[in-house]
Amino acid sequence: MGTILLCALTLALAVFALTRKRLLWGVIGVGVHSLALAGVYLFLAAPDVALTEAAIGFGLVTFVYLLALRRGGRLVVAATAAYPLLYPDGEKIAGLEWEILSRFGRSLHRDVEILWVPRAEIPRLLSSAEADLAAGGFLPRDGERALLSSPLVPTRLVIVRTGEGPLGAVKGDRGESHLPPNGRTYEDHEALVRALARGELGGAVVDLLRARQWLLDGRLRDAEMTPLEDVAFRFAVAPAQGETHAALEEFLRDLSSTGELGRLVEEHLR
Amino acid sequence: MAACALAIALVGLGFWTLIRRRNVIWKLLGLNVAAGGAILFLVAIAHRPGAHPAIVGLGPGPTADPLPHALVLTAIVIHFATLALSLVYVIVLTERRHSQDVHKLEEDR
Amino acid sequence: MKWAAPMAVLGIVVLVAVGTWSLFPRPEVPPWEEATAVWGAENAVAAIVLGARLWDTLFEILVYAMAMVGVRLVLRPLWRTGSVPPLAETPLLRRAADVLLGPIVVFSVYLAASGHLGPGGGFPAGALLGSGLLLLALAKGADRLGGELHEPALERGEYGAIALLLAVGGGVLFFGWKGGSLCVGLNFLIAVEVAIGAWVVLHQFTRTRGEV
Repeated sequence: MGTILLCALTLALAVFALTRKRLLWGVIGVGVHSLALAGVYLFLAAPDVALTEAAIGFGLVTFVYLLALRRGGRLVVAATAAYPLLYPDGEKIAGLEWEILSRFGRSLHRDVEILWVPRAEIPRLLSSAEADLAAGGFLPRDGERALLSSPLVPTRLVIVRTGEGPLGAVKGDRGESHLPPNGRTYEDHEALVRALARGELGGAVVDLLRARQWLLDGRLRDAEMTPLEDVAFRFAVAPAQGETHAALEEFLRDLSSTGELGRLVEEHLR
Repeated sequence: MAACALAIALVGLGFWTLIRRRNVIWKLLGLNVAAGGAILFLVAIAHRPGAHPAIVGLGPGPTADPLPHALVLTAIVIHFATLALSLVYVIVLTERRHSQDVHKLEEDR
Repeated sequence: MKWAAPMAVLGIVVLVAVGTWSLFPRPEVPPWEEATAVWGAENAVAAIVLGARLWDTLFEILVYAMAMVGVRLVLRPLWRTGSVPPLAETPLLRRAADVLLGPIVVFSVYLAASGHLGPGGGFPAGALLGSGLLLLALAKGADRLGGELHEPALERGEYGAIALLLAVGGGVLFFGWKGGSLCVGLNFLIAVEVAIGAWVVLHQFTRTRGEV
């Protein structure tokens, strides 16, 4: 009699587990079903089998499924640190672009992973598909082969003059294309601003956001700024990832139409 | 007997899930249940009416046949190892193709 | 084509059901007391698994180890850069690990040691130990535990256990070893092998995620 009841329970659990919509419930249901199955083995005079089935079917198999339940894989973003758009904050990452990227990742069911690289590396990483997206105060250069998203935050390219001397820019950045022949390039914005502060340079071609940040932080004294051109920060998508680009465009459209994008820009950039 | 009927039902249920679900992990779960059904079948065959486990000193009376138990023990452990390896391939597939849906995976890129 | 799936499943079920029918009447249970007396184990299943069909068990362990090697190999390029943050340090998880880890280890040693005298044996003991290790990893953080459990030593332990198992199997085959202590030794080696293999799989899986 007990056998029949336990068999009915096991069957009910199996039916329940395999007809769930969410995968998580299915995995847990199959785990509990294994436990009931181990009970049936006990009734069938097979204690060794029951022990083994309980330990492996209920313990290890459920664990292994739970650890393998990933969502859609990774979304690898090659980025340069750019306060307040995308920057590491202790153990975590923060910024306007990080908010947008993590929401985008959640909508695609993918984990976002950031690779911090110098600006000059980004085109190579995108075309070799080692990275899916580029971010971090990204200003596209003319002739860049990536798929660009719609503009996120409008800004402009300025020349910051602190004195006499050559101009500098970050290698690979849009500012580099505006440098005169005697201009110098640096690996990242940190090196650039340090050279400016030391007086090695007379100025830099950089975007307004960073220039303002340098002034606010007090890293430059009396600099004068002349605007060069109006640009906008965007995301760049690897050329092979057309689907991701379409999904990103749709996501940004939804974000701006509900006003959420404006709210996030307010929150992070004011 | 009830256990045999349950085993047959589990095999049917497991294969149904294996065929009809689109997500790769659901298919693996169906295979898991079907394997459980097959193992239950073997253990149910080994059982005799009113039997006790085949251990010396557990008293007189009919005993369950110990040979299928031994075969099944190995089968359970190997099933776990195979499951771990196939989940590894599911993980790699998810990383490369960003989808666990079989229809999407079968499209030509 | 729409009916293909139900027809296939029906076909399989009918096949299995017809197979069942052919089993009745049931044959007699073969005399297993002699086997237990010969191999020095009181549990008939242990006498078969560790005695009469020892080489089946050894090759099964080899297959298990091969699967673990495959898991390690295939997942190596997918490790995440940077460390894996531990699961939220809930007091419940730590308390559960504190309370449960002792009984788990003791019970698994008991299962392995008394596998030839009663139900149990190397396989459930190893699986239980592996689950216990995972519980510890959940409570402590997979990275910390992975760092503390020196990985090359674990690998050496795993392959050493397999080598010892094969050596003992050879002894049984060529020199006719048998007895209760042989069963205990085999059970312990099997438990070590299964536990380390399970831990390797779980650890590799956690290394490819952003969190545990």
